[in-house]
Amino acid sequence: MRVVIAEDLYLLREGLVRLLKAHEFEIVAAVGTAPELLDALVRERPDVGIVDVRLPPTNTDDGLRVAIEARKQVPGLPVLVLSQYVEQLYARELLAGQAGGVGYLLKDRVFNDEAFTGAIREVAAGGTVLDPEVVKKLLAKRAKTGRLSPRELQVLALMAEGRSNAAIAQRLYITEKAVSKHATGIFAKLDLVPSDDDNRRVLAVLAYLDA
Amino acid sequence: MLFIAFPVICYVIALRRERPGSLRERIRARGWGLLLPVIGLAFAAMMTGNHVLLVAELVASCLIMLFAPGVATKLVPFGLLLLAMIGANLFHAYRRSGEGSVDSVAYVFVVGRMGLLVPEAVLFFATGIWLFIHVRAPGSERIGRAVARWWQGTAAKGVRRGQELLLLPVLVLALLLLHPRHWLGISWWTAAGSLTVALLAAVGALLLMFRSRVWAVTLAAAGLLVLGAYGVLLAMYWPGLPGWRYGPIQLYLASTSLKGCVAEGIVLFALGLWLAPGVMGEHLGTRTEVLEQRVRTLTRTRTDAVDTAAAELRRIERDLHDGAQARLVALGMSLQAAERLFPTRPDVAMALVSEAKEASSQALTELRDLVRGIYPPVLADRGLADAIRSLAMDNPLHTIVDIELPGEVEMPVGSAVYFAIAEALTNAARHAGAGSVHVDVSHRNGMLKARVTDDGAGGADPGQGTGLTGIERRLATFDGILAVSSPPGGPTIVAIEVPCALSSPKTSTC
Repeated sequence: MRVVIAEDLYLLREGLVRLLKAHEFEIVAAVGTAPELLDALVRERPDVGIVDVRLPPTNTDDGLRVAIEARKQVPGLPVLVLSQYVEQLYARELLAGQAGGVGYLLKDRVFNDEAFTGAIREVAAGGTVLDPEVVKKLLAKRAKTGRLSPRELQVLALMAEGRSNAAIAQRLYITEKAVSKHATGIFAKLDLVPSDDDNRRVLAVLAYLDA
Repeated sequence: MLFIAFPVICYVIALRRERPGSLRERIRARGWGLLLPVIGLAFAAMMTGNHVLLVAELVASCLIMLFAPGVATKLVPFGLLLLAMIGANLFHAYRRSGEGSVDSVAYVFVVGRMGLLVPEAVLFFATGIWLFIHVRAPGSERIGRAVARWWQGTAAKGVRRGQELLLLPVLVLALLLLHPRHWLGISWWTAAGSLTVALLAAVGALLLMFRSRVWAVTLAAAGLLVLGAYGVLLAMYWPGLPGWRYGPIQLYLASTSLKGCVAEGIVLFALGLWLAPGVMGEHLGTRTEVLEQRVRTLTRTRTDAVDTAAAELRRIERDLHDGAQARLVALGMSLQAAERLFPTRPDVAMALVSEAKEASSQALTELRDLVRGIYPPVLADRGLADAIRSLAMDNPLHTIVDIELPGEVEMPVGSAVYFAIAEALTNAARHAGAGSVHVDVSHRNGMLKARVTDDGAGGADPGQGTGLTGIERRLATFDGILAVSSPPGGPTIVAIEVPCALSSPKTSTC
């Protein structure tokens, strides 16, 4: 799998390269600034770009803006955005417009390399991956989620992270059938149209929480 | 002679309170104090119909025009109001005796045509009031902000726009007191009783609105001046007013005298005059007084800022020491133990490495929270508007955001405003029992205004919330203010105002 990495701190960039090489990803470019990143993403058309939010030249949210710009130029280009902190605002901007092929994770998630590489593959395959921290913030809107049971809240959180029914079942130690029952219950309570597609499901949940 | 000597004496008293300097400087510095001789001369002219006094009045006006044209414009409304009073007086005198003394400046042209006198006086009065409202006094911005401190929420805007209107009750009372109807016809007891009550009511109402020492003294000074002037004026009509009483002393005496009346009037007027320069300085400020006040404010806010910064650094040091630093020590120890155990007990070593990983993750979380409290990354990345939107998204309540910022706010001010809004939103979510919150941010005329309104139960005591006190102090560093209105039953409104300039909007780099 061909990967472009953008990270301005040398140690972290090399660490990421080493980690991904160990998991048999092919690193086509590892860059340290926003213009280089845009160039690499558009020219190399990697299977997935792994992008740090904060990049030179302005050291603000250049990485995020490049990711959004690149997805405009190359529709559907899978991008996994990493950051030291997560903002709902950025998650919404990433998810706006196009469905799928987007991930937004805290940098710490790299520590768990199984889960991290899993997330990269998920994004590369067109899935959506949201950090549990973002989801926690999304679900904090009391008025929106007050009607759900604790179990339904757990399922909703995992759905919003972009997980499939199977993954949710495995995580909560329940059967897939039980998960889909909960999902139906949640969608009914929230007046949402049910969807089997994980991406559309994430978007529906986000749209609901956003309104 | 009394009418010439009296204002001159008063004016000398007023000028002697000034710092040394040339006469020109003194007159310039006094500004509003110039009003006093004009009032005195006009009263004198009004009472005697003396042409010499009229000339003196004109000369005084010309001098003011020459020395302080800015003050002159501010005197115009007062002059007009005075003329209106004179008109009313003349009319009354004419009605009583069949002949009017119409020598005073503005009415000299309507000799013998009393029908015109009334509409002319009304016109003067209306124009005077209108001008009085529209001539903005120097330092009025400061009064407006002091008003806003006590008069919160939306009402503050209205009050600030028409703040001079608040002086109207005093003016109306003065006119009532000086109107001839109260000298004749109505018994003094009736007039004094009702007027005292009215005056007290006005003072009470205004003090309730302002809860301000400065305004209490202002009203006291105004009241003394008015009552003093009334006493002296009364002397003119004394022969025709048998048994009339005036002043706090004579009210309780068996017999009254003209001299006693005048003496009391002079004492009261002088007392008012003694208070007036200080009060005027407090409100409108001579240059030095404004600067002194500014220095006091800056000294206080700087001390606060330094203290706050020091406390903040202590907190950061403590958080790092107890949090991330401690975790890194634990992490190092776990790794060291793992290193030692790897050859013999690889399973235990693995567990220790996992533990170390966990510790580093927690250290990161703690550092993240710490950074957010120092300077939120989204504020650094995107500026104030998006940072507030981000706050709204993270707030558990339904939050509506309305932001009108045509440019970017400077970093320190933006940070102070951000934390103020964050605190207000947190309070709304935690205490108010609210369902939704509305955040309004706008920038107009060099003033950044933010308002956080929730639909909760209200009844919040701003004195209790230590969070808001800190925020208020932080805003004060930028001359910003914070006001909380939270009547029982709601809504709770937290209003912030900070003077600041906007820079041009951030340009995208890619």
